[in-house]
Amino acid sequence: MTLSKLSLRNARRQTGDYLVYFVTVIITAALLYACNGLIFSSEVQKLSSMLRTLPLVIVLASIVVVCIIGWLVQYTTGFMFTKRSREFGTYILIGLENRQVARLFFLENLIVGTFAFALGILLGNLVFQTLRAILLALFGIPYTFAFSFSCKATALTLAYFVLIYLLAQLRSRRRIRSMKIYDLIYYDRLNENAVLTKSGRRKKIFSASLVFGAAGTLLLLKRSLPAGILGSACIIVFLYGFFLSFSSGVPAWFDRHTARKYQGQNPLLFRTLSAKLNTMGIVMATIALLFTAVLISQGTGLIFGAIFESRRSAEACYDIFISTNSPDQDFSDYIAYIESSIPVAAAHSYSIYQGPDAHITDYLDANTDYHPCYSYDTWMKFSDYAALRSMLGYPAVTMTSGEYLIHCVPYQKSVVAACAQPIAIDGAMLRPGSIHTENLNQKLWNTNGTDFILILPDEAVLSRPVSHNLYAAMTKEPVSAGQHDTLCRIRDNQNLRRAGYATLYTAPQVREEYASWTAMTILPLYYLALVLTMTAATILTIQQLSETDRYRRQFLLLKKLGMDQREMNRALRLQFTIYYAMPAIPPLFVSIPFLLNLCSATDPGVTEGFYRPLNIVCITLTLFCMIYAVYIVMAYRSLKRNVLP
Amino acid sequence: MLQVTNIEKYYSNGESVTKALNRVSFRVEDGEFIAIMGASGSGKTTLLNCISTIDTVSAGQICLDDIDISTLSSAKLARFRREKLGFVFQDFNLLDSLTIEENIGLALSLTHTDPGSVQKKVQDVAQKLGITDILPKFPYQVSGGQKQRAACARAMVAGQSLLLADEPTGALDSRASKNLLEIMTQMNQAMHATILMVTHDAYSASYASRILFLKDGRLFNELIRGDRDRSVFYHEILDVLALLGGDISDVI
Repeated sequence: MTLSKLSLRNARRQTGDYLVYFVTVIITAALLYACNGLIFSSEVQKLSSMLRTLPLVIVLASIVVVCIIGWLVQYTTGFMFTKRSREFGTYILIGLENRQVARLFFLENLIVGTFAFALGILLGNLVFQTLRAILLALFGIPYTFAFSFSCKATALTLAYFVLIYLLAQLRSRRRIRSMKIYDLIYYDRLNENAVLTKSGRRKKIFSASLVFGAAGTLLLLKRSLPAGILGSACIIVFLYGFFLSFSSGVPAWFDRHTARKYQGQNPLLFRTLSAKLNTMGIVMATIALLFTAVLISQGTGLIFGAIFESRRSAEACYDIFISTNSPDQDFSDYIAYIESSIPVAAAHSYSIYQGPDAHITDYLDANTDYHPCYSYDTWMKFSDYAALRSMLGYPAVTMTSGEYLIHCVPYQKSVVAACAQPIAIDGAMLRPGSIHTENLNQKLWNTNGTDFILILPDEAVLSRPVSHNLYAAMTKEPVSAGQHDTLCRIRDNQNLRRAGYATLYTAPQVREEYASWTAMTILPLYYLALVLTMTAATILTIQQLSETDRYRRQFLLLKKLGMDQREMNRALRLQFTIYYAMPAIPPLFVSIPFLLNLCSATDPGVTEGFYRPLNIVCITLTLFCMIYAVYIVMAYRSLKRNVLP
Repeated sequence: MLQVTNIEKYYSNGESVTKALNRVSFRVEDGEFIAIMGASGSGKTTLLNCISTIDTVSAGQICLDDIDISTLSSAKLARFRREKLGFVFQDFNLLDSLTIEENIGLALSLTHTDPGSVQKKVQDVAQKLGITDILPKFPYQVSGGQKQRAACARAMVAGQSLLLADEPTGALDSRASKNLLEIMTQMNQAMHATILMVTHDAYSASYASRILFLKDGRLFNELIRGDRDRSVFYHEILDVLALLGGDISDVI
């Protein structure tokens, strides 16, 4: 049998033995190809000028993916090498040279890599179609299936793969070439040594790691870049310190609590736990680090998504929205162009007025996470309000004599209701009336008030000075990119010639802007999160499945000793649960506080409160668990089938 | 204590049927040390597997402490195994990831013994078998003989009625074998343990008080030591083995 035939046969065996790894590499190849497809797609490039930076973002994310998958391939190759070192030693024993064995191993990995790459490209076309459909949906463009094969995307994916495999293979090649027969035959007996054996040192490191974990988490909550970098470093120290010291500490704890040690299945469980941590401490810490990154990426993606959606719905409330704080600027140039070029269904020009005091503004500033943009409460005429409501299709409201209305963003409703007071107008008192919370564009400057506006009878407002002027319109057709550009030119011209600053929104432009932001931030975050989860779960699963024989012997003995089937099932489930939960629990203590903090650090009212942050955390954990569960279920079913007598 | 009555065991492999045990009957009294001998393929291990409830008989009856084990459900069989039977295997069968103390204590954990009393019970039995100093060690840190003594300790720590030993000296050198057999004799005489040992080694069998010889699945002969010297008994065993037709490797 020639070496190449042997390599081919071994490659086939490898794909069977390490199916989980093989599938993960295929999916990663598919994701790399699909993302590369977006880089080279002319259709995607035409979607928005803002997507010009998308290729850079994707390449940066892909470099991280290449590093992570490179680690996975290197780890798995090293793992296979350890498990098969006796076989390699035997090849040398029967007369093969070290370099021939190295070539054999290299060839079989090359075959597996090539096969995974080819399947990945095929699957990648489907993933590309999915990403394309998501992008088109973000930009509000109907999706139609159009098969495409990108040679450039294939070439770039191939370049990534060559990099991933060459680095991993060169290392094992060098290893095999330099090892003696004895070393190879007995290599599988070597384990990762317990790094910390002395109890005193372990205790100190364990305590220090917890301090680093708490400090790191607090620093991450500081919302500043230097604190964030320092916090991340502390978290890394925490995870490695924790897993290396915890592994040596579990047996010591049980030795002190012998009654606990011999309770039920504890002897089996705690020894499995400590044996795993002893031999996999560094790997477990690395996996925990990856899981922390996954949870933070997914949660951040969700928070960004909620913010973009909130801003988009606020800013795209009107098809055209222009405002200026300068009395020198007017809307005549805009209106002239709009009337000549854009069919309008309804339009309205109006002013926002300065209230005599800042009672509600001050109250919100003092009691909520509020960013005041004016030193006074803003007022609006009831007739303007009614016109805007009618334009937006909201139900008409009435204002009875002797009262004023309030329109505010939903999350400020209860606070505004609590602090609203009667207003004295020419000796008459207007009491607060109903509060409405439909979307009216009340974000930041030059809009319909910041978070709230008071609606007063027209005659009560006339004597007040103007705060800023606005123009809002609903069009019969969506405003085109060309029309938007013309309006922008008019605005720039006004800003240049006259004092003050005008703000301009058109609904399609707002949608495009946030669709681009979503594509450039959320998609890469999910892409990274998916690859990191798959990599970490694959390593855990490979380790677990490689111990099938040991588990089988263990359960066979336990059966002989009188453990019944139900108890054996339970023992296997518990061992499994502890093994997969171990690297996932410490990341929860870091990522959940980080996400809850991030929820309140962004736009007020979007992800604040009790339920919305909880929702973000729950969705993040669910997404993570869904992918993780696929690997756990696969490993559990395989192990249960093969190990229980 | 143990009553084996007319048991038969068949293995079918497609069209051919192999009779591993053929109408085997015998009785083991409380506190007896009994050995079962025979050449390879004579049915020794099959007989032990049937008695240990790991395998089932095709016909016949096995009663231990007046309980017919063929009538028990799988859950009751598991309970029966952990409460009544202790095992000593040729390859020790200790769990690598547990210390010697934990391996012995596992038998008590399985019987849901009060966790607080486990360590004391383990230390007591370890002291009797002379393995107290190796209790905190892992199996890979101790010798074969020590592992086998640990297996003996596990087999009796939970107060099991019958100790079943399958070629217990098979993986030991002669010195460790002698040591183990003396320990088993001590367990039998001082602690009144009932032992059923399967072996093809005449030297090991000479430590028993009675020997049953199996040939082609049938009981061929029975030898009782009585008051004779162990060396005399050993030579009698060799004589029976010669009649059985076992080759020289079987008799050391």
